[in-house]
Amino acid sequence: MNPEKRFHVASPPRWVDRILQWFCAEEVIETLQGDLHELHRKRAQSHSKFKADFYFILEVLDVCRLFALKRKSRSNSNYTAMFKNYFKVAWRNLFKYKMYSSLKIGGFAIGISAFLLISLFVKDELSYDKNYKNGHRIYRVLNVSSDPSDPGKGTAFPAEIAAVIRDNFPEVEKAGRIIPYPGWWDSGNNQFRREDQKQNTYEEGFAYLDQDLLEILEIPMVYGDRTRALEKPNSMVISKSKADKYFPGEDPVGQTIILNEDESTPFLIGGVMEDFHTNAHLQFDFFITLTGKEFWPGEQTNWCCWNYNPYLLVKEGTDPGDLEDKLLLIRDNFIVKYALEQGDKRAEETKQYFSLELQPVSDIHLKSADIHDAVTRGDIRIVWLFVAIAGFVLLLGCINFINLSTAKSANRAKEVGLRKVVGSRRWHLVQQFLSESMMFSAISVIIGLLLAWIMLPFFNLLSGKILFIPWMAYWFAPLILIFIMFIGLLAGLYPSLYLSAFRPIDVLKGSLSQGSKSSKLRAAMVIFQFTTSIVLIVGAFMVHRQMDFILNKKLGFDKEQVLMIQGTNTLGDKLPVFKDELLTLSQVQNASVSDYLPVTGTKRDGNSFWKDGRSKMDEGINAQRWYVDGDYIDTMGIKLLEGRGFSDMASDSSAIIINQTMVKKLKLENPVGAKIMNWQTWNVIGVIEDFHFQSMKKEEIGALSLVRGNFGSVLSVKLRTIDMVGTMQSVNSVWEEFMPNQHIRYTFLDDNFTQMYGDVKRTANVFTAFSVLAIIVASLGLFGLSAFMVEQRGKEISIRKVLGASFQVIFQILTLNFLKMIVISLVIAVPLGYLIMEEWLAGFKYRIPIGWEVFAIAGIMVLFIAMATVSYESIRAAVVNPTKGLRSD
Amino acid sequence: MGKYSIGEFEEVVLLAVAILFENAYGISIKKEIENRLDRKVSVGAMRTALNRLEDKGYLESEFGEATAIRGGKRKRFFKVTPYGKMALEKVMETRKQLWEAIPAIAFDFKFV
Repeated sequence: MNPEKRFHVASPPRWVDRILQWFCAEEVIETLQGDLHELHRKRAQSHSKFKADFYFILEVLDVCRLFALKRKSRSNSNYTAMFKNYFKVAWRNLFKYKMYSSLKIGGFAIGISAFLLISLFVKDELSYDKNYKNGHRIYRVLNVSSDPSDPGKGTAFPAEIAAVIRDNFPEVEKAGRIIPYPGWWDSGNNQFRREDQKQNTYEEGFAYLDQDLLEILEIPMVYGDRTRALEKPNSMVISKSKADKYFPGEDPVGQTIILNEDESTPFLIGGVMEDFHTNAHLQFDFFITLTGKEFWPGEQTNWCCWNYNPYLLVKEGTDPGDLEDKLLLIRDNFIVKYALEQGDKRAEETKQYFSLELQPVSDIHLKSADIHDAVTRGDIRIVWLFVAIAGFVLLLGCINFINLSTAKSANRAKEVGLRKVVGSRRWHLVQQFLSESMMFSAISVIIGLLLAWIMLPFFNLLSGKILFIPWMAYWFAPLILIFIMFIGLLAGLYPSLYLSAFRPIDVLKGSLSQGSKSSKLRAAMVIFQFTTSIVLIVGAFMVHRQMDFILNKKLGFDKEQVLMIQGTNTLGDKLPVFKDELLTLSQVQNASVSDYLPVTGTKRDGNSFWKDGRSKMDEGINAQRWYVDGDYIDTMGIKLLEGRGFSDMASDSSAIIINQTMVKKLKLENPVGAKIMNWQTWNVIGVIEDFHFQSMKKEEIGALSLVRGNFGSVLSVKLRTIDMVGTMQSVNSVWEEFMPNQHIRYTFLDDNFTQMYGDVKRTANVFTAFSVLAIIVASLGLFGLSAFMVEQRGKEISIRKVLGASFQVIFQILTLNFLKMIVISLVIAVPLGYLIMEEWLAGFKYRIPIGWEVFAIAGIMVLFIAMATVSYESIRAAVVNPTKGLRSD
Repeated sequence: MGKYSIGEFEEVVLLAVAILFENAYGISIKKEIENRLDRKVSVGAMRTALNRLEDKGYLESEFGEATAIRGGKRKRFFKVTPYGKMALEKVMETRKQLWEAIPAIAFDFKFV
């Protein structure tokens, strides 16, 4: 019997012992292990083997202390020695072939920095609305219409919705509403001042809010009580930054605020909230309470008008699907009922088409592309698009590494052969080349991080975000480490398998042809790189063209040189005088007061219209009704097709001017002189040409009507000047005469217009930036391959030259191969790019056709860049003195 | 404590080694402390203390014989050095001085 067997009953588990041996330093292992074994043995005798084993495990874990651990310098196994050698050889190779190494690392680093930046972007996009304690129970209520004539989802409901839900559905804990629509009474922007001060300041970010919503959204408070801050009528909650601005160093709760010089309704500050985190879907600075608010008599119980966005906090364990079904009660008992009362013929159809949906709060930011709402948000498709692009750029970098490593394999073949002869197994060589690629990837990631850090400010400009690299986050360093390993593995796996497969006999005999084996695969990868580059370039071109198309499209109004002076409502009765005063300036051509302007962020007013007397018989058409003054049409440069504009005649109070689309929709044969109605009857006095008053991304021009009004907070001024600075000074001095306590605030119509397409512009910029990166990475790879090719065929070229080959012939021989690859890439990229761009453009109502010239330009560009890259080495080879190539060995 | 830096647990271990005299090795020290002071001692904690005491020069050690019960591993026997003795004395002395400095009334809890 072997001596170990005798003690088998009492000896501790082998695997635990092994762990102990693994981490324990040699000088302490013997006595320590002895002590532990002795204890184990004694316990096994006095108690049980199980208990002894259990304590043994605990004790082994316990002795995991500093004194017992292995010191690095002490351990000197073959294993680590080999790794040292691998790294030394890798390091020497890196410096021996400086050009190839820098090409590999450069391409890698660019790809990695692109990937890092996009990751930051995506991380930020995904972080929206994830921080609520009860986030899984917070929902936004959506109205869904599946009516084929008017499908869509929206967030607006009549005022009573929250009360009805709260009273009828016990599973709802809280229900609260918000009115985020700028221009709805004091929602949007206002002139703001403390009651005890005179100076007005323009502030944005106002919304009407229920007390309950303050609690549902868990808005953190600095001062005041979250459960009571908006409880009193005319109370208001302001953000921390605004509190610091107007009440530096004091607690503003209980202070009084005057909005727009309206001293009849002062607002009381009920609380101060923390500023909204940038990754919340709502971004406001001022909440005005809805408590006791009634915008017109009976408004709070009238189911006519849909202006409130409700949010719910449901009780734990509530199934949103079930609740959605139950919410249909609201449709039947309130919405349909109201429609029936109004004599709407389609009331019953509502039952068929209308439903309510609950959207989890965390989905709002990215999954609301099909929802009409008032919050700015991201688009999950853009996020995926960016991820795909970044992934491709990274992949291109990896391909460079693979291609150059396998191409230059001949240099390493002897090493592989020798290592094998002295006893390396294939696995060892795989390890060697993997550790080499890890080293490359580590260097590249570090450089990539630096690059990303340098490029971050520019990227922030491109993406319209404020991102930063979370250097100090606890997960950052481990993640980067994992990333290094992943990239190293991705790029190093194929080369290591390829290189380790050399048979020593072939290598040492010298019969291995120089890295030509996988040239087909290399060609395929180059083709892949250039296909990607071409598609990205085509994409960038198309996005830019589409943007130009939108920005320069004939709009139906003239957006150039229109100054919008904001906040003119505080002028009160003096507004007409101010306007007249401005008109005396020679540079001012025209001026008009109206809050309704053809850019987003200005007022809108949707109405149903009928031909006169047919409201009970026909289905109404949806049309905008804009209050404008008599000078609006001239100031905006809108074309009057028939009839006349507004005059000062008293009868014009019921006059209406409609656009072509409205004529068509109402089926009016002789529009001028016809009568139409919404709440009242209107006389059509003119028809204007359609103009774009909504974003051209989704919507066609809708029906629109203009009616007479002389009020508003925006005075649009049409200028005719080349001296914009001087003009602005004159306008400003006029303003100061009237409003010494309020700074003039203005924007230009064309700027606002450009802002409407900010996201298209951002997409275009990102596309451009990444296609540039892609082509750089691909060119680096190509340059490396061409250099390798020239090097490999150096002798052949020299001999050809000696035999009389001309420069052209040599150049052709060297570049033809690459030319073929580029042409093949082009052939693949054209249909691929076409499909992708067709898909993207389908999201636009007004879009450009995809012309062949885009592909031609992209193709020629890529061809030119590729040829320039390849030519450098080829020309050098073609002009070099052949004796140089033949002299060596 | 001056140059004789020694922790409470280290002091206990050092004293136990002195008590056991020629039979002080890992398990016996552990047992001694557990029996006399009625407290649990983990192998790791005791090992750490022994190592530190040896580093400080209060202890010296040599290998003993290997036994079957220890899975064929040798024991390491510890012995207090003269320097260790001085450290212990110093500790006792400081304590004594501190005790003597306490005014009698401080511990007179009768009428509080």
